Amino acid sequence: MNSKFSAYAHPDALVDTDWLAANLDTPGLRIVESNEDLLLYDTGHIPGAVHIDWRRDLNDEITRDYVGPDAFAQVCRKNGITPDTTVVFYGDKSNWWACYALWVFQLFGHQNVKILDGGRAKWTAEEKPLTREVPNYPAADYPTPLERDDTTNRAFYHQTWQHMLAKKPMVDVRSPKEFSGETTHMPEYPQEGVLRGGHIPGAKSCPWATAANPDGTFKSAEELDQIYTQNLGLKKDDDIVAYCRIGERSSHTWFVLKYLLGYDKVRNYDGSWTEWGNMVRSPIERSF
Amino acid sequence: MSYPPALQDIIELFEHLPEQERRENLIVMSDGAKRQEPKEGETFDLEDVRKDEECTDTVGVYLKVDEENKVHFAITLGPLVQTLTKAMTSILCRGLNGARPEEIMAVPADFVPRIVGAELVRLRSQTVYYVLGRMKTAVKMYLDRKRAAAAAAA
Repeated sequence: MNSKFSAYAHPDALVDTDWLAANLDTPGLRIVESNEDLLLYDTGHIPGAVHIDWRRDLNDEITRDYVGPDAFAQVCRKNGITPDTTVVFYGDKSNWWACYALWVFQLFGHQNVKILDGGRAKWTAEEKPLTREVPNYPAADYPTPLERDDTTNRAFYHQTWQHMLAKKPMVDVRSPKEFSGETTHMPEYPQEGVLRGGHIPGAKSCPWATAANPDGTFKSAEELDQIYTQNLGLKKDDDIVAYCRIGERSSHTWFVLKYLLGYDKVRNYDGSWTEWGNMVRSPIERSF
Repeated sequence: MSYPPALQDIIELFEHLPEQERRENLIVMSDGAKRQEPKEGETFDLEDVRKDEECTDTVGVYLKVDEENKVHFAITLGPLVQTLTKAMTSILCRGLNGARPEEIMAVPADFVPRIVGAELVRLRSQTVYYVLGRMKTAVKMYLDRKRAAAAAAA
């Protein structure tokens, strides 16, 4: 095993690029690419990888929610994924969307999930093989899950409100200027329709990127412990909510807290700032 | 609204393509983005190279206007620019090169979804409009300078 991984709370939640390169044809393994760049998969991907699009495949745009159990099962079936398949997620943006897709798989109880440490950027930097050949797997048998579990890993607006009132730990993983309210857009992105800048009262700022190395890999367990346990003051038995703008950057932090540091109760508030910041009379704080 | 003829041709090609073929053609266009960069020794009337807050990487717009008052663009893109933005850069250079400055300024952005498809124009892909904006800005800067020069000469 990768020596860095062994210090994490759940070392099996990660694979490294060398391991994946040696296991591309391993039965029972499905590689899934999830990106922000909508056409990046089409330009070349890890051989055998399928593409799961965060919006087309995982979101229900009509209800402004995630897909239901039937649609999730369909996504798995068409990509040759069974409940026993080990799914390795990777993608651009330091694995934001890979973590997001993994988080959605967790809502449906798919347990065998992993992240490729360093994601697409590390794979390509190491000049490992890419292909434009789209694999065509036989449809798999994926029984429709009984339900989508929205309680364990997900927080809704009113739960986040209660969380705020109870002064429980809340981590704002956006950039410092988004947190302070100085800007209403992410660095290097256009405005995405947020009416107010600021943060949820009581939230602490800890940008997602503090958990990542420049090559997109996760920082070591020791470094992460310093950031979240020592500096931010999070305790192992804390009830923690993480949020960002639409839930993708906070999926990254959710993965770090839950799988790499082993915090038991971490939820991702996917409504995040686009919901909280726009909600009438929703309280906010500014700090600039 | 009429578009420059070359852009009109591209719009008509793309908007009738099935989704998968549309994606494949966008990848071809993206692959061709490098060909829109300035050639060795090429000179321009205006160069606007910058990294804007709302874009992931540096974009350089190079513009020259020939003796027939037709605009020719070259564009450089940083490596972090999205694939769709690269594709749109190729499309816009092909579609707008040879048009007159006033024609370019009058081009509305409503053709973008017709080329890219509604499926791909969404949250987190809005920079697809960015390059068109930068090209128009370059044309406006060129026209402003030209007017200022004319006023000074008068």
